[in-house]
Amino acid sequence: MIEKVGMTLKYNRLGYLIGEGFSNVFKNKKSTIASLVIMCATMIIFGISYAISENVNNFVAKMEADQGIQVFVNRDASEETIKKVGDEIKKINGVSNVEYKSKEQALDQMKQMLEDQQELLAGYEDNNFFPASYVVTFTDLSMNKQIQEEISKIDNIESIQKNDPVSEALVNIAKGIKIVTTVILVLLIMISIFIISNTIKLTVHVRRREISIMKYVGATNNFIRWPFIVEGMIIGIFAGVISIGLIGCGYVGIANALSKMELMQKMNFSLMNFSEMFSSIVIVYLLLGIGIGTVGSIISMRKYLKV
Amino acid sequence: MIEFRNVTKKYDTGTVAVQNANFIIEKGEFAFLVGASGSGKSTLIKLILKEEEPTSGNIIINKKDTTFLKPKRIPFLRRSMGVVFQDFRLLPDKTVYDNVAYAMYIVRATPRHIRRQVPMVLSLVGLSGKAQMYPHELSGGEQQRVALARALVNNPSMLIADEPTGNLDPETAWDIMNLLNDINMRGTTVVVATHAKDVVDEMKKRVIQINKGTIVRDDRKGGYDFEV
Repeated sequence: MIEKVGMTLKYNRLGYLIGEGFSNVFKNKKSTIASLVIMCATMIIFGISYAISENVNNFVAKMEADQGIQVFVNRDASEETIKKVGDEIKKINGVSNVEYKSKEQALDQMKQMLEDQQELLAGYEDNNFFPASYVVTFTDLSMNKQIQEEISKIDNIESIQKNDPVSEALVNIAKGIKIVTTVILVLLIMISIFIISNTIKLTVHVRRREISIMKYVGATNNFIRWPFIVEGMIIGIFAGVISIGLIGCGYVGIANALSKMELMQKMNFSLMNFSEMFSSIVIVYLLLGIGIGTVGSIISMRKYLKV
Repeated sequence: MIEFRNVTKKYDTGTVAVQNANFIIEKGEFAFLVGASGSGKSTLIKLILKEEEPTSGNIIINKKDTTFLKPKRIPFLRRSMGVVFQDFRLLPDKTVYDNVAYAMYIVRATPRHIRRQVPMVLSLVGLSGKAQMYPHELSGGEQQRVALARALVNNPSMLIADEPTGNLDPETAWDIMNLLNDINMRGTTVVVATHAKDVVDEMKKRVIQINKGTIVRDDRKGGYDFEV
């Protein structure tokens, strides 16, 4: 019986605090709009950086996956052994494709590379020292290391060659871009917390009298704080929804325009589908919106609760 | 009920607002705090509300020494006393009803209790018909009645009023004072800081007079007296 009363009380109180938060959002239209605009702006810039970094990651991943690694079989291995090695590589979890390159193919390739210096390779047709190899690509690039380890355990493998220098340079550039975008993201989050907390501070300042009245009537700090936090959260969620709509439209538009450009088609480059990023961006935006709103309200209220 | 033991309050600016104050206000008493502006009346009220900390001495409220009260417990101390100010301090965007109900939400009253209690105090202060109006639609006297209703709605054991009639015309001021007297008759301790001389003279209640921070007179049935 006592517990039941307690529960209804708690529910009523929670409902009251959330209701207050909602009515504050609509009552203080000016500051709500100000916060909303600032939050949307930061979130859109955030979204753009996020989209760039995701696409760079995706591009690099695709490139690495296409490239694969080259596994050289021992020079003196028999045909049978070479085939066995190939079968074993295929069995490894996460291997997408295994392409065989025979000794002869390796020599041909080298001949092509040397073009007018064929004399260097004279006589090698009879005594081909190039090893046979397998070009292995992965389904999941993150398993790269693990797969390489497993391959190296197989008998009769001479060496494993990773990506060529050009693609490695590209990967490094991509890593650089990733670091830069991460730094931008962190800065943006900090800036938006600062701006939001200032906007809320303004609201709180306008309502400092109200807050002092609440304190005189015997309201606890939490009781006063929660409607403001709810207000911040609601604004954050709204900003998230608006930004995701704008970012989504913009992104799809750009992706379509790019896909029609000849250069991009030649380079075989296309932006990721927005739906691939959608779920992660929604989660990030909601967390960001709620987080910034909440932290902003808590920071900005501290001063005014000391009555 | 309210006891000051050797209380001194010195502000950071160096001003000594209260100097070695000693008095006891018993349960059910009606006491006036009088003195010219700047005499330290408001500081006494702030000390009772624990808005300010005494520099030295002890303040005992409801048998509890509030000197070492944790900040977290202050809201609960304030719930044991209703407070009324000169400038009413109502929430402007809430109706009369909600202004009063607000004080009950804070103490986690049930919706049923709120629905029963709010109309009761509103009728006690004579505002039954104005529950759905907003503060700006009311006269000064009516706004002070709302503030009184809010102060009383949780049945506090004491009522603290800081210049409750300071913004009101003499006739309305009398209405409010009579209301405070009625509230006192119902058993609530009432402390009123004021410089309304005629009211104090007429009502023949206990008068504690403060001058330049020092309590200069404590009269059981006194009148207002500037000349000391």
